[in-house]
Amino acid sequence: MQPMIKVENLTKRYAGVTALNGVSFEVQRGEIVGFLGPNGAGKSTTMRILTGFIPASSGRVEVAGLDVFENSLDVRKRVGYMPENNPLYTDMRVSEYLKFRSKLKGLPRSERKERIPEAIEMCGLKDVSHRIIGHLSKGYRQRVGLADALLAEPDLLILDEPTIGLDPVQIRQVRQLIKDLGKRHTILLSTHILPEVEMTCNRVVIIHHGRILASDTPENLMKTLNAGGLIQVEVRGPGSEVQAKLRTVENVDTLSAKVLEDGYVRVMVTPKTGTDPREKIYQSVSSNGWTLRELTRTRTTLEDIFVQITREEDEAEEERREQRRSVR
Amino acid sequence: MTNVPALLRRELNAYFASVLGYVVLMFFLLVMGVTFAVVVGYLNRGPTQFTAMKILFSMFWLPSLVVVPMITMRLLAEEKRAGTLEMLMTAPVTDFEVVFAKYLGAVTLYTMMWALTGFYVLILRHFSGGDAALDLGPIFSGYLGVIITGQFFIAVGLLASSTTNNQIAAALMSFAIVFLLLIVLNWMTFLFPSGPLGKVFHAISAFDHMEDFQRGIVDARPLVFYLSGTALALFITTRVLESRKWR
Repeated sequence: MQPMIKVENLTKRYAGVTALNGVSFEVQRGEIVGFLGPNGAGKSTTMRILTGFIPASSGRVEVAGLDVFENSLDVRKRVGYMPENNPLYTDMRVSEYLKFRSKLKGLPRSERKERIPEAIEMCGLKDVSHRIIGHLSKGYRQRVGLADALLAEPDLLILDEPTIGLDPVQIRQVRQLIKDLGKRHTILLSTHILPEVEMTCNRVVIIHHGRILASDTPENLMKTLNAGGLIQVEVRGPGSEVQAKLRTVENVDTLSAKVLEDGYVRVMVTPKTGTDPREKIYQSVSSNGWTLRELTRTRTTLEDIFVQITREEDEAEEERREQRRSVR
Repeated sequence: MTNVPALLRRELNAYFASVLGYVVLMFFLLVMGVTFAVVVGYLNRGPTQFTAMKILFSMFWLPSLVVVPMITMRLLAEEKRAGTLEMLMTAPVTDFEVVFAKYLGAVTLYTMMWALTGFYVLILRHFSGGDAALDLGPIFSGYLGVIITGQFFIAVGLLASSTTNNQIAAALMSFAIVFLLLIVLNWMTFLFPSGPLGKVFHAISAFDHMEDFQRGIVDARPLVFYLSGTALALFITTRVLESRKWR
């Protein structure tokens, strides 16, 4: 089956600025893909190209097998899009707005009658459907944007920062909604909030400075990049001796120790890649007769990975620049 | 063009969802009402060579200069500023449909405003004792004149609105262009009453055209001039809107 989104070697240059530089990725049908990157990484630009709002400078972009530039109108019919900051006509009532949008999306009257109440129901807008959008809270407006995106039952939902500016309760609601929608639609959503991706997405595409740095499931990213995380050990014993002993434990790479006020020593152990020396650490501690009160493995979060990847990229970039300078 | 009805309806609703539609309407009716009252008072003094409606139509420059910038400034500039243009243009509608619906919306409002002055005709008719004293021909052609010139200025105002995301800038721009096309061109006809240049100025001066329309003369040349001018302005507006794609 052809992928829902196929982006090949996409480049976008604005006057003097390269926003996207040879971006390629695919999204399969039924996937929820998180587009992750710091502000200005090129997320919104990619989405605008996917929805046909602006064209690419070069490269190929297909949605459901259709070229987004050549078949722009057909593509737009298949895509439900919620732009950044969710712009809406604030002078319209919710139901009025959805009616207007469904007409634009070419839904025949009979379908409109079904789809509008359905979208209102699904997004929890029933209580506010008669209210003017400009008078609604940000959370409700966000749902109006989502309801609009859903109206024509599009194959693909593209949501640009769907939870930005919401309070924690609203964020949770919108995330749940997205998860539910993922059962029926393919979703590409962008965010710079990492837990969001971990919670909602099957796959993460990390973009930075207009380039794709990684694309994988959150779990795989953690597996390949985290190298086991850190192990925190708290032992009651003489500081330097504890440190010396633990350093000799099998598979321990490096460690740092700190003597706590209550007589315990906190040791942070970095294990060798792909190993788990916790058992050996316990044995070492107990064979010395010390008391052990904590032995935990700190889980690397997507946030760590993200910081790591983008920093590596920045350093590589810096190096390339350095080299160019020295060549000159 | 299948999306034009839905878009047009939205445009008309937008005028009256904000205070703008009412303010513009109030301004127009105030100016026209005062003018009408003064004119009728003047005509009561004795016979003149003017008719009341003729004087009213000769006021057409004021709505063109003031009302047109007010009803066109928001059209595209506000969509750009608020970002709603992105919503609009990622729906399956073409750029021209959007431009045309916005033009039609403004023209409809403008026509509605002038249509309200139809009450003056009814009042005149009631007090002047029937059709004999009130020549309907020049009245119809006068209305044709104000609408045909107005719709052209609206297209120009829409073009101005497409070039910026600032409503005030758009309003000033369209005011400046309409001022040039209307007032300055009229002055030119005074500066060059004859000669080849004078001929050109007379041929494209809206005041000259309106002079004819008020008298009941419907010449095809101004009609073609304004409609092709509108077509050109709408075409350029669509291009400006599309320019996001090649900038």
